[in-house]
Amino acid sequence: MEKYLYIALFAPLVSSLFAALFTAQPKKQFVGIVTSLLIFTSFVSSSILLVYILKGGEPIHVELMTWMATGGLYIPFGFVVDEVSVVMMMVVTLVSTVVHVYSNGYMDHDKSFNRFFAWLSAFVFSMMVLVMSDNFAGLFIGWEGVGLCSWGLIGFWYNRESATWAANEAFIMNRIADLGMLIGLFLIYWNTGTLQYDEAFAKLPYLDTATLTWTGIFLFIGAMGKSAQFPLHTWLADAMEGPTPVSALIHAATMVTAGVYLVIRAHPLFDLIPHVGLFIASLGAFVAIFAASMALVNRDMKRIIAYSTLSQLGYMFAAAGLGAYWVALFHLMAHAFFKALLFLGAGNVMHAMHDELDPFKMGGLKKTMKWTWIMMTIASFALAGVFPLAGFYSKDAILETAFVEHHFIIYTVLLFTAGLTAFYSFRLVALIFHGEERYKLFGIHPHEAYKYMLVAMSPLLVLAIIAGAFQHTFFELVEEALHAVHYHIHSEVVVWIMTIGTQAFVIAMIIYAYKKYARKDIKIPDGTSPVEQSFIYKLLFNQYYIPYFYEEYIVKPYQELSEIFWKKVDLKIVDATVDGIAKVLYSTGAATRGMQNGNLSTMLRWMVVGLVLLLLIAVAIGITVRYSERITLFLSGLGVL
Amino acid sequence: MFDHILSILIFFPAVAALLGFVVKPAGIRAYGVAVATVEFVLSLVLWLLYDPNVSGMQFLETLPLVPSFGINYIVGIDGISLFIIILAAFFTMLGIATLPQNTKDEKNMIVTLLFLQMTMVGVFAALDAIVFYVFWELSLVPMLYIIGAWGGPLRIYASIKFFLYTFAGSLVMLVGMLFMAYFYYQVTGKWSFALLDWYRLVLPVSYQVWLFLAFFLGFAIKVPMFPFHTWLPYAHGQAPTIGSVILAAILLKMGTYAFIRFSLPLFPDASVLFMKPIAVLAIIMIIYTAMVAYAQKDIKQVVAYSSISHMGVIILGTFALNVEGITGSIFLMIGHGVVSGALFLLVGVIYERRHTKLMSEFGGLADVMPRYALIFGIMLMASVGLPLTINFVGEFLSFLGFYQQSHILTLIAGSAIIVGAIYMLSAFKKAFFGNVTKKENENLPDLTKTELFALVPLSIITIWLGVYPKPVLEPINNSVEAVVELMHEKAITPEAKLKIPDVKAIRIADAAVVKEAE
Repeated sequence: MEKYLYIALFAPLVSSLFAALFTAQPKKQFVGIVTSLLIFTSFVSSSILLVYILKGGEPIHVELMTWMATGGLYIPFGFVVDEVSVVMMMVVTLVSTVVHVYSNGYMDHDKSFNRFFAWLSAFVFSMMVLVMSDNFAGLFIGWEGVGLCSWGLIGFWYNRESATWAANEAFIMNRIADLGMLIGLFLIYWNTGTLQYDEAFAKLPYLDTATLTWTGIFLFIGAMGKSAQFPLHTWLADAMEGPTPVSALIHAATMVTAGVYLVIRAHPLFDLIPHVGLFIASLGAFVAIFAASMALVNRDMKRIIAYSTLSQLGYMFAAAGLGAYWVALFHLMAHAFFKALLFLGAGNVMHAMHDELDPFKMGGLKKTMKWTWIMMTIASFALAGVFPLAGFYSKDAILETAFVEHHFIIYTVLLFTAGLTAFYSFRLVALIFHGEERYKLFGIHPHEAYKYMLVAMSPLLVLAIIAGAFQHTFFELVEEALHAVHYHIHSEVVVWIMTIGTQAFVIAMIIYAYKKYARKDIKIPDGTSPVEQSFIYKLLFNQYYIPYFYEEYIVKPYQELSEIFWKKVDLKIVDATVDGIAKVLYSTGAATRGMQNGNLSTMLRWMVVGLVLLLLIAVAIGITVRYSERITLFLSGLGVL
Repeated sequence: MFDHILSILIFFPAVAALLGFVVKPAGIRAYGVAVATVEFVLSLVLWLLYDPNVSGMQFLETLPLVPSFGINYIVGIDGISLFIIILAAFFTMLGIATLPQNTKDEKNMIVTLLFLQMTMVGVFAALDAIVFYVFWELSLVPMLYIIGAWGGPLRIYASIKFFLYTFAGSLVMLVGMLFMAYFYYQVTGKWSFALLDWYRLVLPVSYQVWLFLAFFLGFAIKVPMFPFHTWLPYAHGQAPTIGSVILAAILLKMGTYAFIRFSLPLFPDASVLFMKPIAVLAIIMIIYTAMVAYAQKDIKQVVAYSSISHMGVIILGTFALNVEGITGSIFLMIGHGVVSGALFLLVGVIYERRHTKLMSEFGGLADVMPRYALIFGIMLMASVGLPLTINFVGEFLSFLGFYQQSHILTLIAGSAIIVGAIYMLSAFKKAFFGNVTKKENENLPDLTKTELFALVPLSIITIWLGVYPKPVLEPINNSVEAVVELMHEKAITPEAKLKIPDVKAIRIADAAVVKEAE
């Protein structure tokens, strides 16, 4: 079985290196094909491992070699395939395979076709390292690796200012969180003496609560960056500058869920500190509604989906924070399927619309893009949590968890957010596919995507529909690893009321969205309507002015302070002091060099001065010695001695 | 022959340099490359012969110079100095091989570089304070020439500032050394400048404090630590590429190396006493110079200030005073040597082509020079300390080590990974991303074979030692354990005993655990 572990892990690396060989050359179709095949190989190996684990096989643990060893620190390159990592491996390799195949079509005309695949496969490798590592340091390798690949892929079209800006923003913001993560690692090391998961977790119960709390907080700060939780969320929406397959893979299905994975992986820690868990859950619920509200009015197709991702990540954290790790992991998986599908559908639309992103400029596309329409509609139903699609099972489980755990505020917020989710999802679908064909105004002739791209998307479609059916299998799989329990509401009546009520609410919101946005007379907003003038709309449209706030009160002051440090402090104070000392020495020399100009009369004059000075000193010493007693008396009288 | 390998390593370049004066100008480059290559191969032989399991000094050589005052020529290396010597040989070789074709007075330059090599190897191999001091000061002279004769428009100012500033610091250090020898005389009745003799001295804390300060001034200016750093931007700004490469890769490490060789084992109590203030200085270095780097318009100055920022991390690791931190800081010296050396070479590449270093003159270089952009990208990522690059290992261990001493200071210092990313990424974006706007940049040639000859090995080392640091980390670790053990034993104050971990006790405890497990 170890063989499959290595294949699953290293096939993406081989794939990336292979593609990298051709980065300097023009598009080579075989690069796309070979990389897709290699990622598919990784997927097949992961599937074999999944079957093995499902059949009750022992977790596979390998140690490749030592990475760092000094003092008491020992960090190997160790990898583990257990119930949790195998689920992540499946999600990662499945979505990656789909995205690789899809990208063959999507990046068809791009001059950097080969480079794209090199980065994309490198990302898959980093993600595999992240989920398969058996220690925190290995996790951190993957953690930074996906950050790097995300940087390279957001800024893939590096000629665009906005793309490179967004890439740097994502990298730097993630680094802020990574610092938290590093501190978390240090805390674990100095308190348990190791960074290996199993050894460290075994020692956790012996530590005091304060240490555990701080460790939990710092690790969660790390998770907040990758998973774009408030207040480190702004990079995710800007990351939409990258090619759409990237958004589907990295910024929807896999990388952004790394934070959730971390919390799930470190569950023995978070189990011990429920108060931190409650904070995580509350923040998750807040982000869920906060992001959903921004998605309500946004006019950028990809950003709407990005906010939706943010909102769903909030759901996952809400579940994980409440201790329902398996529910979080299940939602993570289901979300990966339908959200990647949604993004890839959006990619098709973008291609058809020549990179237009404003859904108000589309409309009526269902005629020309039937399959994309069907897929996106189903994905949106799944996202909204409509029975019997995948999202229903996973989201319902989260709501039930909150209810059973008596966190009714979180429950209410999440329930309300479910309605918002339904609304903005179908606002998007209605605007793109229904109503008048507004794109005609812009002279665009849309066309459906390549067949094989649609075929590539189909596994996601199938999973978005049926993933809910696996809930029980999934539960049994992770039951032991995550101490999973079913969250049952005792009264059956309450269950029915809740389920039907939620469904009715969601469906009502969907119908409302259709009614409002599938109309024939939708106008492209021009900022004049009373809604657009309202404060709430402006607030939401400008993302609560948070990016503006960051720009004005963090970025600009940092720049100005840097300038001041350089031009005022470093040059004018620190360096000027050094030069000043040198100048004093120099000018003293320059001023006194006249003494030694070799002129006899000058020298005689200075000799006299010297003589007088020496005499004076001699006299002074003489007097002091003679009257030393009196002087002592006098000085002591003054209180000096 | 291998008994005297260290002396050969030190003096072979100097002898070769003298002979170089009679070599014809046309052949001098080949001659220089040959000498430097032989030297590099010798340094590799040294590594081969080095026994990583021995923690103490190896290849010791002793030759009396002034026996009545206990001044001897003593050289020897351990895991701490071994790799810096190899690095010095490596960079001298690369530097000579990649000298621009149009270098004026090529012969003098190569002779100067070979002399510089002697002083560099000498500093890291010397185990006698006076010999150390001689090499330490001699290293200023070739550098003074390199900046003063081959530098930019402000070269005279920059070179004199460099010389006088560092010289002033070293004089104070010399006074400290003389006092140490005098104290040794007081205690034992014999004069000695041998470092290994000094290690056995236990000084009263009040002496330690003053001596620590005297040495500190010499080392801190060399590192350079804030607020003694302002000579460095001028030196880098005016120095030719080769000067900056050697300066950043090797010469700056003299200061941090000397902290570990002198200050820590000689004055353990003072080291503990000054740990917090020095950490604060290190933090200022890290954050303040990173911000100054961000404000720069000249890409070479960005790299220059980034050097100071990274040296801050090295200082922090050194003053963690535990095995993890010190090992990390030494590894980071190697890592920073490789990466900053490579970055200065890279800046030199573009300067050769465009004769400007202003980032506003570039933009879109990734389109024109993709290979250049790739290698710059690798070094950029190493510089910001991405895992699996050489710098991460050192940075991680340095911070990890210091975390044992102070949570909050490490947290603040850790912002190095944020501010470092800010200036590096924004510089990269300005130079490489966007569209080519300047006509002169449209047809820039990509890296030549010679340039690749220097940069590809550096890239390989950057990743190799990031993925598999063990061959270097292990010998360093063993020697550092010995240093920490010595410090713990010598420490007088209870606080120092507490802050400097007892390596021996930990080792015994570990062995017990292993036994139990078996």
